[in-house]
Amino acid sequence: MVFAELVQYVVTGLLVGGVYALMSIGLGLIFGVMRVVNFAQGDFMMLGMYVTYFYAVAGSIDPLVGALLAVPPFFVLGWIVHRLLLARVTGGDPGRQHDAQLILTLGLSLVITNATTMILTPTPRGIRTSYATQAFAVGPVLLNQARSYAFVMALVLAGLVYLFLTRTDLGRALRAAADDPEAASYQAIDVRTMHGLAFGVGIALVAAAGGLLATYYPIEPNVAGNFIVLMFVAVVLGGLGSIPGAFVGGILIGLVQSLTLLVLPFQLQNTGVFVAFLLVLYLRPQGLFGRRARTV
Amino acid sequence: MKRSLSRMLIVALALALVVPVLFMGQAPAADDVKIALVAPLSGRWARQGQLKKMGADMAIEEINGQGGIKALGGARIVLREADAGDSVEKAVSAAQRVLTREKISAGIGSWLSSFTLGVTEVAERLQVPWLSLSYADSITERGFKYTFQTSPVSSLQAEQALDLVTDLAKKNNRPIKKAGIVGDNTAASMFFYKPLREKLLAAKGIELVVDDVWTPPLADATAIVQKLRSTQPDIVFYGATNFPDSIQVLQKIKEFSVKSPIQGVGAWLVTPEYVKTVGKDTLDNIQTVVAAHPMKGQEELVKKFKQRTGEPFMTQDPLCTYAHVWLIKEAIEQAKSADPKAIRDALAKIDISSGPAVSAFYPPRVRFDERGRRIGATPLIVQWQDGEPYTVVPIAVATRPIAWHR
Repeated sequence: MVFAELVQYVVTGLLVGGVYALMSIGLGLIFGVMRVVNFAQGDFMMLGMYVTYFYAVAGSIDPLVGALLAVPPFFVLGWIVHRLLLARVTGGDPGRQHDAQLILTLGLSLVITNATTMILTPTPRGIRTSYATQAFAVGPVLLNQARSYAFVMALVLAGLVYLFLTRTDLGRALRAAADDPEAASYQAIDVRTMHGLAFGVGIALVAAAGGLLATYYPIEPNVAGNFIVLMFVAVVLGGLGSIPGAFVGGILIGLVQSLTLLVLPFQLQNTGVFVAFLLVLYLRPQGLFGRRARTV
Repeated sequence: MKRSLSRMLIVALALALVVPVLFMGQAPAADDVKIALVAPLSGRWARQGQLKKMGADMAIEEINGQGGIKALGGARIVLREADAGDSVEKAVSAAQRVLTREKISAGIGSWLSSFTLGVTEVAERLQVPWLSLSYADSITERGFKYTFQTSPVSSLQAEQALDLVTDLAKKNNRPIKKAGIVGDNTAASMFFYKPLREKLLAAKGIELVVDDVWTPPLADATAIVQKLRSTQPDIVFYGATNFPDSIQVLQKIKEFSVKSPIQGVGAWLVTPEYVKTVGKDTLDNIQTVVAAHPMKGQEELVKKFKQRTGEPFMTQDPLCTYAHVWLIKEAIEQAKSADPKAIRDALAKIDISSGPAVSAFYPPRVRFDERGRRIGATPLIVQWQDGEPYTVVPIAVATRPIAWHR
């Protein structure tokens, strides 16, 4: 194996992992704060791709900008979905609410996918950008431009979320509501509002990730199926409820997918991911960044 | 009083919504002939199902508009579609559902060979004749009596595609010495690669330098295209049936400036969305082997299809389904019955060489051997030129002359 080729595999893995990371942060945030396993997360990503597509088609807005413009409407959408649906099944008996949440988000996923198929038809669409088929050449190593831009923007968005959670009062309140909802409510933190905020931010992030993905990946109603399992693996790998964990988990999946090809045939590409996943859980059941109290 | 009034209003509204739905499935009269279409209408192959349905709808409209099935006193044909989804299990369950819910005279579907293998098992068990455009050899290698395959099988397509590209390359003074196989592991693709790997390439002294097959979806195409760049095969046999996978490969090929000619396998490579997503320049000269594509003389049909659907061109999927519905109609006329067994027997004996039931196929004659394969079925080569796919081989029915690669 030539060294340059190895570097190419690593770089490709990192670039692929960057977008996985952004997708996974939203899921990690929702789980971390609300303890909700959101099966519809991939479908909100798909909607983010479509919104970016329509921005590009109707408004000639570059998808990299479109991905950012998807954030406000999806935050509002997430907030509304929480208020109208999820808030009804959070709170109360933890055993029962868990089942209700699972069924609700799974149902939501089916409704979104099928409604999109009916309204927008199954015809795949794509945003043609010049940078999807161009690369930055660093010596012999090629960095796809679309993936590089998406990677940088994913890093920036993830950094902003991290700053929001650690440096702002609202972010601290959010973390308090995640750590101990009861104690948080004694501190005059409205846990229900915090849940709405977390869901809104989580949905906005995954929609932005969808927008970035749309710069090089075709858009179709069932695109979520290609990513949702990887998102869950990233979140669990990083440690359930840990935002940095979800980010690192996403990057790791991209890397493992790419490096697996050095030793295994293509058909076993995702086998590498799941072997790494099982290994991490065997050696560190709480995930890479998870706390001991919450093991899987 | 006010409360009971509002309750009554709610009940009336609910009834108004529910009652039409209850009666929706009962619209056709008792003597209508029901044909099942099992195709992916959701999931990653939904677009192909949508295209298939367009072809079936067009044929049914024509048949019913021309007075229906004459042997049955003008009986109308109605379509019963079932969603094969994105897995063999879902396809089988869809077939089971549609074939047991009511009396179905014959069926069509279900696009992906892996699905067709499952669906035809159900049809065989329930003794419903089934027409398929799928390519996999194994579909008609199981001794089934009710399965009819109108397409040339994958192994034959591989042989003919290889003959064609080696000839073309020789004529252009660029003989093929190295070949690559790149694609997914769905059944039709696998049956195409198999003879190439096992005997055909070696027989022509061609070395296989890249052989990368994946399970859809593909995470990233960099590693595959990097291999193509470093080995530079003289031809790449390409079978990425899943649209996002294929787009990733083609984008990467452009990014890495890989110049190897691409020979696809299947009609998935010639759908309109390719032009919109990767642009006509990337597609130019890419060719694919298909079971059917509009040929010289079918201009009127294509024009009608385009007007009806708004699609920019017609491809194998609507074309074959259109022909399949007409073929079932012909079989019913010959059987003078809508009974599935009688239709099966008529299909087994059928030999027609004119009309809409055969014009979509090459050569334009339909008769089946004892396995249910169309005798003499020959594949076509379709090539992207200026953002549209044209039939280029056989020359007798080509709509444009073939161009060799960049």
